Amino acid sequence: MIPSAGLRDAEQGGKVPHSDPEMSNFHPILLLAILPAMAFAAPDRPYFNDKKAPENRKDLEAIQKTLTSVLPKAREATVCIDIGEGSGSGVIVSAEGLVLTAAHVAGGVGKELTVIMEDGKRLKAESMGIVSTTDCAMVRILEKGTYPFVVLDRENSTKLGDWVFSLGHSGGFDKERGSVVRLGRLVRVAETTIQSDCTLIGGDSGGPLFDLEGRLIGIHSRVGEVLAQNMHVPMHEFLTHWDEMTRGEFVGDGPFAKKPETGKGFLGLATEPRPEGGLKVTKVGRESPAEKAGLKEGDVLLKLNGKALQSREDLQNLLKEMAPGDKMALELLKKGKPETLEMKLGER
Amino acid sequence: MNARFFPILLAVGLTSASHGVQSLEGDLRKNGDTVVSIFEEQRAVLQRSSAVVKEGRKDLCYGVVISADGYILTKASEVQKISSLSLIVDETKYENAKVVATDPTWDVALIKADAQGLQPVSYAPSSDLPQGTWVVANGASSTTRRRALVGIISAKTREIPASGGAALGVILKKDSKGLEIEAVNEKSGAQEAGLQKGDQITALDGKKVSKIEQVAEFMKDKKSGALVKVGIKRSGKELELDVRLAAKGELTDEKSRNDQMSGRFSHRRTGFPRIIQHDILGNEESVGGPLLDLEGRCIGMNIARADRAQSFAIPVEDLKVLAEQLIKNAAH
Repeated sequence: MIPSAGLRDAEQGGKVPHSDPEMSNFHPILLLAILPAMAFAAPDRPYFNDKKAPENRKDLEAIQKTLTSVLPKAREATVCIDIGEGSGSGVIVSAEGLVLTAAHVAGGVGKELTVIMEDGKRLKAESMGIVSTTDCAMVRILEKGTYPFVVLDRENSTKLGDWVFSLGHSGGFDKERGSVVRLGRLVRVAETTIQSDCTLIGGDSGGPLFDLEGRLIGIHSRVGEVLAQNMHVPMHEFLTHWDEMTRGEFVGDGPFAKKPETGKGFLGLATEPRPEGGLKVTKVGRESPAEKAGLKEGDVLLKLNGKALQSREDLQNLLKEMAPGDKMALELLKKGKPETLEMKLGER
Repeated sequence: MNARFFPILLAVGLTSASHGVQSLEGDLRKNGDTVVSIFEEQRAVLQRSSAVVKEGRKDLCYGVVISADGYILTKASEVQKISSLSLIVDETKYENAKVVATDPTWDVALIKADAQGLQPVSYAPSSDLPQGTWVVANGASSTTRRRALVGIISAKTREIPASGGAALGVILKKDSKGLEIEAVNEKSGAQEAGLQKGDQITALDGKKVSKIEQVAEFMKDKKSGALVKVGIKRSGKELELDVRLAAKGELTDEKSRNDQMSGRFSHRRTGFPRIIQHDILGNEESVGGPLLDLEGRCIGMNIARADRAQSFAIPVEDLKVLAEQLIKNAAH
């Protein structure tokens, strides 16, 4: 699932059985396919990154030239993520519309979000998995399209002191302004956090940090009180948890997102048992998950996730085992006609 | 508004001495001494062509030297109401500098110092530079030495509308027959102009008003910074006062969460017809000086530290026009 030109070519060619690594080592097609990936691994490292600091005007101009040349592509793939009561940022990493962002922006697994492109186009999206301990999240754009995307630094090749730049929709989306670029150096490197002197503010969360080759090296997470304390989650943390996030898992126990608690789920309706079985809906709460799913007074609930509903207790006991955000299938009778509703449990 | 999605880090994660943590020494950071020392040519321009604007021993802000005989541009709202201004250019102190003209729309004041042989900034031919271009501005200064801070152009050049629209800064008494002022906001243009509790507003820009709806209609398309002639009746006497319109959002002390993480930003930070945005750090005192390119040319004048991540400068094209107009106004 990790977007990589090399691997995808090999898979699509269908000539390299995954299960046979021994053989694939010698397979000419795999070698060919691997070449571009290796080109990623050993990129042209800008010379100024190997200097302690710029030494002259020429070095400054080289930094400026490199930055201005990689900026347009990075900007195209940088998005605002509207979560209703606020916004963060994110970055597209595959042509199909896979977006990386921060866990505290995604807010959880399976949340509905809106991705806003640099030109203002709004797209429906949904959060996939998150790593709540280190602030990683994956979001997927639901609308089909071919999206501009950036490549990741897979080799953890960025070093302390390297020149980097950040993008993000500081303070929220502003079409007249666009996303805001800031230049800095990588000033601190720890296992699950890297720090730069690219100044961040609310709204930047989840936005991308790039090296000066335009590769994604981190995702903005949080700030310290001092202006120079701007923290990002390094790309290797995303790569480590890539498969779990792809599968929509909630990894870890916070602090960047709270796991939905079992028993805290909320449907928002009142029922009474029918003598002939099932539960008749007597009231639907305004703005409740039940109302949003289209449930109406008079509907008759027959089964929840395949289990028959005979009494209110049956329903309560089933709900008790579920958490907010859990998907459920409700079999019911609407004006006498059988129907199945797919919906998500809300939060009390 | 987005602040809840951007928690300020608890100190724990930062200070823990876990193994394998690498840290870059301060001098090598973007605004560290070693890096900034490469900008010596541009710093030298700040040394001779920017001014430190002072009240007594206190630094208020910076200024742009625009003539050999002592004309200096600065941020108007930082020097308003200050009776004794002095300036330092290079290592020379000039006492008794005077504000001789202001433009409330751009929040720019023209100061005249009794000076000769100053070196004005040289204007860049255009402010239309790509994002990512290096820029240099004034940082914390000593009596004898200007310091440089560096950054890049970081967003599109554009208008910054007044936050919350434009406002006079008065609260009108409810249920009064006319438009009686019940309170005057302390930070408003109404306060500066001397409007008082009990005054009856009778006209705006010469047009008679008697109902609150007429005031609202009049204010609808007004921009902050504009001057409005407010006709009032005060203990039987008719008066007319020039009142500067402020951005509604700047009349309160309410701080958003983003503001809370932004240190000391400029009080007047919205309502500019056009600005260049850059990422140079600073605070409310670091504005007023020139924004330089790598050639040491003036591409604009710093007009607001907007928040933690955003600083604004007036583009050189607009600055040149402003300078000419203000000098002309001062001559009258």
